[in-house]
Amino acid sequence: MWWYTLKRLFQGVITVWFIATATFIGMHNVPGDPLSGDRATNATIRANLEARYGLDRPVTEQYFIYMRNMLRGDFGISYTQQNREVNDIIREHFPVSATLGILAVLFAAMGGILFGALTALFRNRLPDYIIMFLVILGISVPSFVFAALSQLSLVNMNNVLGFSILPVAGWGTVSHMLLPALVLGLGTMAYMTRLMRSSMLEVMSSDYIRTARAKGLSPTRIFSRHQLRNAVLPVITVLGPAIAAITTGGFVVELVFAIPGLGRYFVQAVQQLDYTVIMGTTVFYGAFLVFMVILVDLVYGWIDPRVRLQ
Amino acid sequence: MSALLSVDNLHVEFATYGGIVQAVRGISFSVDAGQTLAIVGESGCGKSVSMQAVMGLIPMPPGRIRTGSAQLRGQDFLGKTHLDGKAICGDEIGMIFQDPMSSLNPTMCIGDQIAETLEVHRGYSRTQAFARAIELLELVKIPEASKRARQYPFEFSGGMLQRAMIAMAIACKPSVLIADEPTTALDVTIQAQILDLLKEIQQETGMAIILITHDLAVVARMADKVAVMYAGQIVESASVDDLFYKSAHPYTLGLKLAMPSNKSDAAHQLQPIAGSPPDLFSPPAGCAYCARCPWAMQVCQGDNPPPFVIGDGHYAKCWLQHPQQERDIDGLYQAVTVTGAPA
Repeated sequence: MWWYTLKRLFQGVITVWFIATATFIGMHNVPGDPLSGDRATNATIRANLEARYGLDRPVTEQYFIYMRNMLRGDFGISYTQQNREVNDIIREHFPVSATLGILAVLFAAMGGILFGALTALFRNRLPDYIIMFLVILGISVPSFVFAALSQLSLVNMNNVLGFSILPVAGWGTVSHMLLPALVLGLGTMAYMTRLMRSSMLEVMSSDYIRTARAKGLSPTRIFSRHQLRNAVLPVITVLGPAIAAITTGGFVVELVFAIPGLGRYFVQAVQQLDYTVIMGTTVFYGAFLVFMVILVDLVYGWIDPRVRLQ
Repeated sequence: MSALLSVDNLHVEFATYGGIVQAVRGISFSVDAGQTLAIVGESGCGKSVSMQAVMGLIPMPPGRIRTGSAQLRGQDFLGKTHLDGKAICGDEIGMIFQDPMSSLNPTMCIGDQIAETLEVHRGYSRTQAFARAIELLELVKIPEASKRARQYPFEFSGGMLQRAMIAMAIACKPSVLIADEPTTALDVTIQAQILDLLKEIQQETGMAIILITHDLAVVARMADKVAVMYAGQIVESASVDDLFYKSAHPYTLGLKLAMPSNKSDAAHQLQPIAGSPPDLFSPPAGCAYCARCPWAMQVCQGDNPPPFVIGDGHYAKCWLQHPQQERDIDGLYQAVTVTGAPA
């Protein structure tokens, strides 16, 4: 298990390095540069600025300088925002995105497992039909539509009741987080519900469940001890990619709900070709996702002995 | 004295999109303590379904027990989960299945799976039950039992898993063990070991074994009594010697001739039974074996034969055993004095 963890962490470092290099190369191949806007008024100023940021050196040298700085944990300073270090931007805004993302993933996983198990237990009966209809809706409707609709209905509910159940937008308290996290996790929750339903049905008709019943166990014990753990395995497999999808897909939801997350800076930086911010946010996001995927794999190993011991 | 376990006139059917399948059509049998009853028949004849129905393991719906009763020491238990405060499944009746590879939970260690039965039925604590599970693994001759108990099914071989299954089934010292084709998925040497183990445990505990199989060699080795099933009915029932030496039903005879032997002359060539079993959506009015029987008569088509008593504990459902029937069929045992349908 320890060896496996070490191996996965090493692979993760390689992956992050690859992400960093690919982003660096891609970024420098985009036409234009961060100084070609209105900041470089004439050739002298431009040359000074290039010297200041090291942009006058060959790209390979820039790459090595950048990598060395990155290993020291220094992502540099922003080109477009005055006196702001990329580290500050990340430190300030990443926790917001991460909290939202993790909350959304939790919603998605718990809801998916719960509803999936329910639909399987009530297969081909009314609860199954209702939930499966909602699942199709959840998969096919994009999150910004849900975001807007949920805000609208929340406003209406608050009006009718005369007091505010949940804040409609903004950030700060737990009550601010609930609605955006739910909206952000909805698509994944729907997908996981489907997955859980089918794997649950498969498990329910398996031989070892028949054995468990022949042992005279109660249905609740069979469900909790034998069905759930086996049925949840496929859901955990997709948890890694789901975390990636949710955290990177959070930008739109962050915008709609006016949440000061990292997503906005990420997109802005690409539009303005803010080299250091692009690199910083991409590498940081990449490292975060790689770490989460490794974590998911370790959880998978913990649940499935066949993975852990082979 | 009533038998330990008896099943009377059991009918099981399944509602499917194509209609109602009459999987089991009125079977009766009984087994005493320390006795082994083998239920033999080809695939789909209802042997597994009937035992699963008795245990309450068939999904309902689509399954349904139309009529019939099952008694343990004279008490009805069909449809009940407990009898005199003891659970039927796992406590009074243990069960092992055909494919040990898929019959154990892949994400739970062997010891816990055995211990679970004891925790539920005997109220053992976790540690107590686990310690007992290790003893049980030793009993079924698994080496290094305490280490093995902490391992998972994928770390066991097929034969070892079947041993673990047996340990699980006998954990609560059941009075009846139902073994549903326990050796079908195993190779021949392991088969022999598992059968010997079952026999040994039976001698120690005095439990009754109901052995479901399609292998006549296994029957000859294990059984005291045999019931031959065909198309959801028991067509012949006898002691193991009578069944092999006085086969009174053409189907039993057919099964015997289809068995490989180690003699090489033409008389011992394998003779398969031609044709296939009847459609159980609409079972024939007469004898179900009629279409495949080399000696079928007019009466066989229209009327289902009653069980003709041929000897002590030996009956066959075949018109050829009718007292007025001529006795000239080669290989088929026809008793000189046959009593008609028993009460």
